[in-house]
Amino acid sequence: MTKDSQALVFVVDDDEAVRSSTKLLLKSVGLPAVTFSSAQEFLDNYDPLQPGCVVLDVRMPLMSGLELQQLLNMRGAIIPVIFITGHGDIPMAVEAMQHGAFDFLQKPFRDQDLLDRVQKALEKDRVNRVQLREKTRIQERRESLTPREREILELMTRGKPNKVMAADLGVSQRTVEIHRARVMEKMGASSLAQLVRMVMDLDQPGGDTSSPSAREAAR
Amino acid sequence: MDTPATPPTKSPAPEELLALLQRLTHVSRLATMGEMAAGIAHELNQPLTAIASYAQACDWLLARGSTDTAEIRDALQQITAQGLRAGEIIRRLRNLVRTPDTARVVTDVNELIEELKGLALTDARAHNVRLTLELAPALEPIVANRVEIQQVVLNLVRNAIEALEGVPPERRDIVLRTAPGSDSNVELSVIDSGPGVDEAIVDRLFSPFVTTKPAGAGLGLAISRSIVEAHKGTLRYRPVGAGGGACFVLRLPHAQGGA
Repeated sequence: MTKDSQALVFVVDDDEAVRSSTKLLLKSVGLPAVTFSSAQEFLDNYDPLQPGCVVLDVRMPLMSGLELQQLLNMRGAIIPVIFITGHGDIPMAVEAMQHGAFDFLQKPFRDQDLLDRVQKALEKDRVNRVQLREKTRIQERRESLTPREREILELMTRGKPNKVMAADLGVSQRTVEIHRARVMEKMGASSLAQLVRMVMDLDQPGGDTSSPSAREAAR
Repeated sequence: MDTPATPPTKSPAPEELLALLQRLTHVSRLATMGEMAAGIAHELNQPLTAIASYAQACDWLLARGSTDTAEIRDALQQITAQGLRAGEIIRRLRNLVRTPDTARVVTDVNELIEELKGLALTDARAHNVRLTLELAPALEPIVANRVEIQQVVLNLVRNAIEALEGVPPERRDIVLRTAPGSDSNVELSVIDSGPGVDEAIVDRLFSPFVTTKPAGAGLGLAISRSIVEAHKGTLRYRPVGAGGGACFVLRLPHAQGGA
């Protein structure tokens, strides 16, 4: 699928009536939804490239919503998950939030509450995908640097002056200047400040661009 | 292991005992209901959620001037069906909490199971347990107080569900089986894939106040056996075998056999 494909709401619930009614409700406000009767069925059809969000029942036989969330997390999935819980499931909802759920909702829910959360989740997914794409781009640029250029980049982001770099690396200041220019050009940075920000974003935890599915999703 | 639940030395009058047993049965039934309440609340939430969503979807569709009447009618029919589904859940619950009916009637064991099936399945599902019914066809009728025997069966199922708590969800199995027993008896077994009963308490399993549950009063099995014995039947435990697991066998005499 391409990055431009339409966002979908994935409804995962073992109860047929809850599933169909949620799908119709979403459809009635113009949000296309796809339903799955089990966590496994969702997982079997999961496409990291497909933008959207998941509306997930916390309590299901065999694989619960929480277990599915953990599997998605392990795969480095960035798709936001809204949990649907029953009355007695608050501890489960808390656990889900601790594991990075986007939000949760108690059954039965008001249409506006569901629609608001879904809209916000879709927006979050969109922003996530843009950021991930940007990160992957920077990552790829960094990978295109030669070992020496990467060394220079490392020293630049630590704020070392050219003179110190030259001494550290045992080369002339002129050579350092040439490498610097190449690094700026290859990274597509117009200022040192911008370059530092790029590298900080890359190395920030949470933005795991090294996981295969995250990188795939960013294409 | 066949120790009587209540060793009588100076026994009260039989009718007094019976009344006490009936009250205890009612209390124990209410306790079972309490334990099952979470599962039932969850089960009721499903049709309620569907009703609310279908109704709100209809409202949106109409507000946006949708002319797809088939879609709207389908949603309205779903609302009706889900309303009835909710009513059915309440009806099953009410059957169990109503004040006990002391009448004993000629009845079919499979029919008793069919009636409580919904509640038992709800409870099992809420705990990620697979409950399978294996009902032998054309069983001899028995004479029983239907609600009391149902209470015994639900009690056994509940115990089995609790026994499976520490077992991974994919291996949580309960089989509820009926069979034509020997010696003019009908046999009903509740078999679980749990760890089985600790050998240390097997001999005292049916004595009052013996429990393995942190919050248990230890009356469930004692009351169950008293009910069964009042029906001239037996309730026994046997381990399933090498793979662990517990099996409780309830035997009740055929209708023409007395009671």
